[in-house]
Amino acid sequence: MSSAHPTQADARLSRYDPMSRILYFDDFDDGINGWTTLVGNYEGSIETMTHSYARHTQPMLSQITHWDAGTHGAFDGTYALKIATRPVPGERNVAIKRVTFRKAARIRVETYFAFKPEANELRLSDRDVRSFGLLFDLQDGRERVMPHLRYLNALDGQRMNRWQYKRRSLPLRAIGGHNETVTHDHLSPQDWEDIPGAGQLLCYNEIPTKINWHYLRMDFDLQAMRWIDFQCNDQVFDASGVESIRMPAMPNLSCMLNLAFFCEPDTAKRAFLYLDSVVLSGEF
Amino acid sequence: MAGMMRNTLTAVLVRGEWLQGAFETEPYEAAWAAEALFFVRVMGVRGAVSDGAAIDWKVQLSPDGIRWVDEGTVLHVDAQPEALVFARVGHFGGWLRLVCQVPEGLEVQPVVTLSLKA
Repeated sequence: MSSAHPTQADARLSRYDPMSRILYFDDFDDGINGWTTLVGNYEGSIETMTHSYARHTQPMLSQITHWDAGTHGAFDGTYALKIATRPVPGERNVAIKRVTFRKAARIRVETYFAFKPEANELRLSDRDVRSFGLLFDLQDGRERVMPHLRYLNALDGQRMNRWQYKRRSLPLRAIGGHNETVTHDHLSPQDWEDIPGAGQLLCYNEIPTKINWHYLRMDFDLQAMRWIDFQCNDQVFDASGVESIRMPAMPNLSCMLNLAFFCEPDTAKRAFLYLDSVVLSGEF
Repeated sequence: MAGMMRNTLTAVLVRGEWLQGAFETEPYEAAWAAEALFFVRVMGVRGAVSDGAAIDWKVQLSPDGIRWVDEGTVLHVDAQPEALVFARVGHFGGWLRLVCQVPEGLEVQPVVTLSLKA
């Protein structure tokens, strides 16, 4: 290579493989970087919000401190984005960043993540987190498209260790009396399907207070509105046949490029998804 | 936390849920911040509301996000729609939360926010 990739000039970026243009590189040592809670839609009264969305809470900047080992810190620096659920089985939490796209190109999201249950029991606890994952919420001139990817760690106490996707969502529900606002619970527990061949064991590491950072990458084509592939640590999974939730374009979501991360507990114990940093890049 | 501009973040800890009995907000991590402001705003009240009815919200700290101890600050909030009370807190370590006890026969619908600044 005669010219160095720009990532090599920045030690924090050199562990990523971004496409040619970086849309954002959010290191949570610098602050919250536009990641916020996914509030559900409502009209007239906050009580019109779908219950599962009403339970979402704000992400935090975490130093990852434990009662037994003190501060863990992030992959680099001190702080990671922390998405924490309530201690209710299956009750998820979601953090989202909302931008729009200027070119329908191939895009790539990358992150270094860790997930753990709350360390409030002196036991392995490796089946207490049900799942974590990410989704894009996208719209072009024709369709709203929502690729969902999750790692199903455990379900009803059983180890599952596999990647899943969604192509169906619950029906749209109208909110309020003005025929202007609708909602749908696209992260509901129903309709997750296994991605063929996408089983994977991750590095849980023995007790709830040991954190190992993992690499996750997903590529998506905004022109074709199709998955390309995804990678977690040393495994790359072909996703060219993986479908997304699709619906007709909605009136006020043009060029939407939202990215969200989520997690959910399988037991009555808080589940935590930590993101050291997130890079969204595109080929344009 | 890079740069000369001070970091700040406002977290909504309760967003219009109806509360009754003992209640605690979810733990919120605040180690990066030097100062905090809690706000409690009452959106709605229902049940047997007597004159002077109020709810005390206590600030709590934690060494680990699991075990909690009173910080000493109390927000005394009238059980009246649009009541709005704040409290300043400093030197709080890694976590913050509020706890309260809604009196028997009463339900309140608050918005609780935590404003943090580095």
